[in-house]
Amino acid sequence: MDAFDILGRIITLTLFAATLRMATPVLFATLGGICSAHSGVFNVGLEGLLDLGAFFAVVGSVALGSPWAGLALAIVSCLVASLVFAVIHLELKAHEIIVGLALNLFAYGLTNYLLVAILKATGFYKSPLIIGFQPVNIPLIERIPIVGELLSGHSPLVYLGFLGVALAYVGLFKTPWGFHLRAVGENADAAEAVGINTRLMKYAGMLLSGALCGFGGAFLSLAYLNMFSENMTAGRGWLALAAVNFGEGRPLKSLVACLIFGFADALAIRLQQFGLPSQLVLMLPYVATLVVLILSAIQRSRKAEQVLESPPPAAKPVEV
Amino acid sequence: MSSKARLKGLLIGVAMQAANYALILIMALVVGAAVILVSGKNPIDAYIALFQGALGSPIKIADTLDRSSVLILTGLAAAVAFRTSVWNLGLEGQLYAGAFAAAWVGFSIHGLPSPIHITLCLLAGTLVGGLWGLPAILLKLRWDVNEVVSTLMLNYIAILFTAYLVAFPFRSPTAFMPGTETLDATARLPRLMIPGSVLNIGFLIALAFAFSVFWFLYRTKLGYELRMVGFNPRFAGYAGMPVRRSTFLAMIFSGALAGLGGAVVITGFFGRFISSFSVGYGWDGMVISLLAQNHPLGVIPAAIFYAALANGALAMQSATGVPQALVVTVKGTIMFFVTVQFFIAFLNRRLRQWMPSTS
Amino acid sequence: MPEAVAMLHITKTFPGVVANKDVNLVVQRGEIRAIVGENGAGKTTLMRILYGLERADSGTIRVKGQEVKIPNARVAIALGIGMVHQHFKLVPSYTLAQNIVLGVEPRRGPFVDHERALREVHELSARYGLTVNGEKKVSDASVGEQQRAEILKALYRGADILILDEPTSVLTDMETDELFIMLRRLAADGKTILFISHKLREVLEVSDNTTVMRGGRVVGTVKTAETSDRKLAEMMIGRETVEIPPREEPPQVGQPVLELEGVDVYDSRGIPAVREASLVIRSGEVVGIAGVEGNGQVELAEAITGLQPIACGRIRLEGREIQNRSTRQIRQAGVAHIPSDRNSTGVALEAQVWENLIAVDYHAPPYSGMLVLAINRILSYAKDVVTRFGVQTPGLKSPTRNLSGGNVQRLVVARELGSNRARVVVAAQPTRGIDIAGTEAIRRMLLEYTGRGAGVLLISADLDEVLALSDRVMVMYRGRLADAGRVDETIRQRVGRLMTGAEP
Repeated sequence: MDAFDILGRIITLTLFAATLRMATPVLFATLGGICSAHSGVFNVGLEGLLDLGAFFAVVGSVALGSPWAGLALAIVSCLVASLVFAVIHLELKAHEIIVGLALNLFAYGLTNYLLVAILKATGFYKSPLIIGFQPVNIPLIERIPIVGELLSGHSPLVYLGFLGVALAYVGLFKTPWGFHLRAVGENADAAEAVGINTRLMKYAGMLLSGALCGFGGAFLSLAYLNMFSENMTAGRGWLALAAVNFGEGRPLKSLVACLIFGFADALAIRLQQFGLPSQLVLMLPYVATLVVLILSAIQRSRKAEQVLESPPPAAKPVEV
Repeated sequence: MSSKARLKGLLIGVAMQAANYALILIMALVVGAAVILVSGKNPIDAYIALFQGALGSPIKIADTLDRSSVLILTGLAAAVAFRTSVWNLGLEGQLYAGAFAAAWVGFSIHGLPSPIHITLCLLAGTLVGGLWGLPAILLKLRWDVNEVVSTLMLNYIAILFTAYLVAFPFRSPTAFMPGTETLDATARLPRLMIPGSVLNIGFLIALAFAFSVFWFLYRTKLGYELRMVGFNPRFAGYAGMPVRRSTFLAMIFSGALAGLGGAVVITGFFGRFISSFSVGYGWDGMVISLLAQNHPLGVIPAAIFYAALANGALAMQSATGVPQALVVTVKGTIMFFVTVQFFIAFLNRRLRQWMPSTS
Repeated sequence: MPEAVAMLHITKTFPGVVANKDVNLVVQRGEIRAIVGENGAGKTTLMRILYGLERADSGTIRVKGQEVKIPNARVAIALGIGMVHQHFKLVPSYTLAQNIVLGVEPRRGPFVDHERALREVHELSARYGLTVNGEKKVSDASVGEQQRAEILKALYRGADILILDEPTSVLTDMETDELFIMLRRLAADGKTILFISHKLREVLEVSDNTTVMRGGRVVGTVKTAETSDRKLAEMMIGRETVEIPPREEPPQVGQPVLELEGVDVYDSRGIPAVREASLVIRSGEVVGIAGVEGNGQVELAEAITGLQPIACGRIRLEGREIQNRSTRQIRQAGVAHIPSDRNSTGVALEAQVWENLIAVDYHAPPYSGMLVLAINRILSYAKDVVTRFGVQTPGLKSPTRNLSGGNVQRLVVARELGSNRARVVVAAQPTRGIDIAGTEAIRRMLLEYTGRGAGVLLISADLDEVLALSDRVMVMYRGRLADAGRVDETIRQRVGRLMTGAEP
């Protein structure tokens, strides 16, 4: 078996289809992070929100027998948690990073507690009672040879995630609402002075952040795997934070980062099937994140250096 | 200002702090009680069982103190970083790195006198813990990479990498759980004379470090620089202080203390490195430091409180069936309220009304 | 003429201070009303109440004859009130047009109609002669253009009552003249203008009536045409002004202590902020740098003190080159620095008073050894300078945040001058926002220091301060230094010309 052969067996169409799937939960959390970042809040609670979403999606699905009900419960629970976050940060003036970390801790404790208390399970809960999302085949596209295999047959949430990127772009950069939100995040004083209710906008940004994480969490426990387990978010909220950072607030650029993580995730699973130690290949997404972080930082500092190295522009004096 | 007025001011300060902590604790207990009620249990019974389990007998008290050793060290690690405004969220990874290094020295070097072997183990843990903080701080200083995310990624990498090490190259064939060989007896921390308890000199080491870190931060030039940089880096640079060096040292010292924490818990409690051994010691360290308002001496009672919560949780679960994960929820609640300025401001107003003319 | 605004019996207290006490203010439509007073006289608070940013404890407000409550800015805007703040409230990454329409932007369907916004802004701008390029980003626009955008922002919302808070503090004389022409045009068009200032000359030039405030109360309202700057000043401070007379005898000038030769500094965006700056300060001399803020003064001070690298040129301290050394080396060589922004640069507000006092000298004997701080020695030194420089503090160990602004500045001066080591003092805006007693004290400390043979580089946007303290004056304009020469009867005219970029 030569190297190309091995490579050919690893890099298949399924790998790319899996990339889209694995990118989805990070993508939802990233879109959430972008919304709160534009309102001026650095949301480090994404991880905890995903965790809550994943858990309550299972609860909703089991209780009401429908994945959509699970999704609804996931969204509601994340909205409540973000509301608490927002109140403590905005009204009681606690530091955003600390409140975010507290949310992660709280969510981790609560889901594990309720896992035992409500679902009577330790460590993980898997049951035929969990009704997950069914894959959707897209009528025309599924027949196109390669494209069909790649794009068709995913969970509806995958399509929603990618639709979300477009919606976020339009919402943030084209509508009056986004126009106001970004103003609040960049200079809250200026927004307040023209009568924009900055507090309301910040709440909106953070609640949206929560709702989107609800989608992401539901995807994890009702579409990617039909189960809930401790630590099932596996740091995806943090990957999302890196993607937000990489995209500098632009949804499309962040999508690129999400796809990189998705690919690393998918590759890790694939490589495990080839007998590589799981512990090592599972490091891939985190290493990829570090690389993405470094690349985006270098790119930023290059930009700054280029400006510094350019000859003193005589045409552009310091104006008064 | 007369000494009487000064005393009065001091008393108000102490009373405010005490009331602040009492409020936070009550809020956390109330939230906890609500969560317990969800599972249909009686919160009071659960809290009594928790208290009994943590502090119900001398042995239990000693075990709680033992558990606090590593928490004191990770709490100090967080305090040093946070005081310098370095967001080192990588304590968990630095703890793992240090723990594995200490374990390796403990099981692969033989025939040393115990004091030397122990010292080497602890040194290795400290060193490797500090090194594990190095990439994040270098990236921050060179390219301005946000340390929040980079230290977190290094956590996952450290946990997975040590898991790999004990699953393959260093796997003990005899052990049931993936882990290393047991440490040589010469590398184990000696127990303190409390029969039936695991309390060992790790606790004394942790206490000694708490006082040393206090001395370092408040009495030395370097510590002063770290604190000033933490307050206002612009000011520190303007005054001529080495801002970048301080940031660098804060991260390395922080990592080193976390690594030492890992070394202490391996050589004192576990006796070998086990995959995923930490139940969030690093994360708890951050919360403990915040609870102590990043003060090294405040870390001691805060860590003991957290250790009591953790030890009590087990007892509570077996006695009343309330899952021990409850305690994590309570911890999260405490963290929510720790930095809420609201309490302090509110108390301040009230107390000033009660006791007028302090200045 | 009908009444535009009436504020009656307004009282507002903040914890510990009465900002407004039983204030009455009635302004007619089409009037330009100046409101003058010292820092802390309560003029800005009064205007913030009118604009809904603060709520009065008691009193009534009438706008155009109707009694109203103004709980927030939205209500004020709806009532036709607009405010231009001293520090502009603009979103840096948005264009000027986007800033002008923000909050009431024209829409096309569910989207913002940016083209229409731009068109409307340019129409409005043409109508009032307030020239702006709506497509420019705020970060690329000049200060004057940003201010015009702020005025347009209010007009776009249909404001006919305009509040301007210290509008000239950031402008050159020429830009100020232009602003005044625009204001008169607006008033003639029926707009009412409330104009906060403490520069009496300007007030006399533009306003119809002047209301003087002191200590939260209205001292009186006078017709501007019937008063003089001397009378207004008396009303403002309650006694005859003590103008520090120009220093009579020429000081004992000695050897050069600080020399700059062709220094270039680029700011963080890579734009040259200081260009070919050269100057000499001799021992015992105060050299003042006048000029509107933002012309490179901050960068110049930071380059001298090692906080910004210089691209070319030389800086010599008593003959030894110090350019691009570390801040610590430069400070040890004998440069003291009073920064222009004391709260963000000059101190760590959360740190204790003694920690701030020793921040420059802590690292060497006698205040520390190899490793450890000599706390007792530091405390006794701190106690000494606190008394010498009159820093009012609850204690050496109380957080610096508890000190008033004037005392924070005294603390900064005490730290920089207390050790008596400095050969050169770079003092940027040393008395900004400080009461009269504090200002006098700090100016005296600086002058005394030159008596010990040090040189002072005084950078101030307050021309009166520069003229009162300096032996020689230079003007900074667009990064370049121009020499205005010794202080004499015609200095004001020379400086005024140089500040607008005229050739020396």
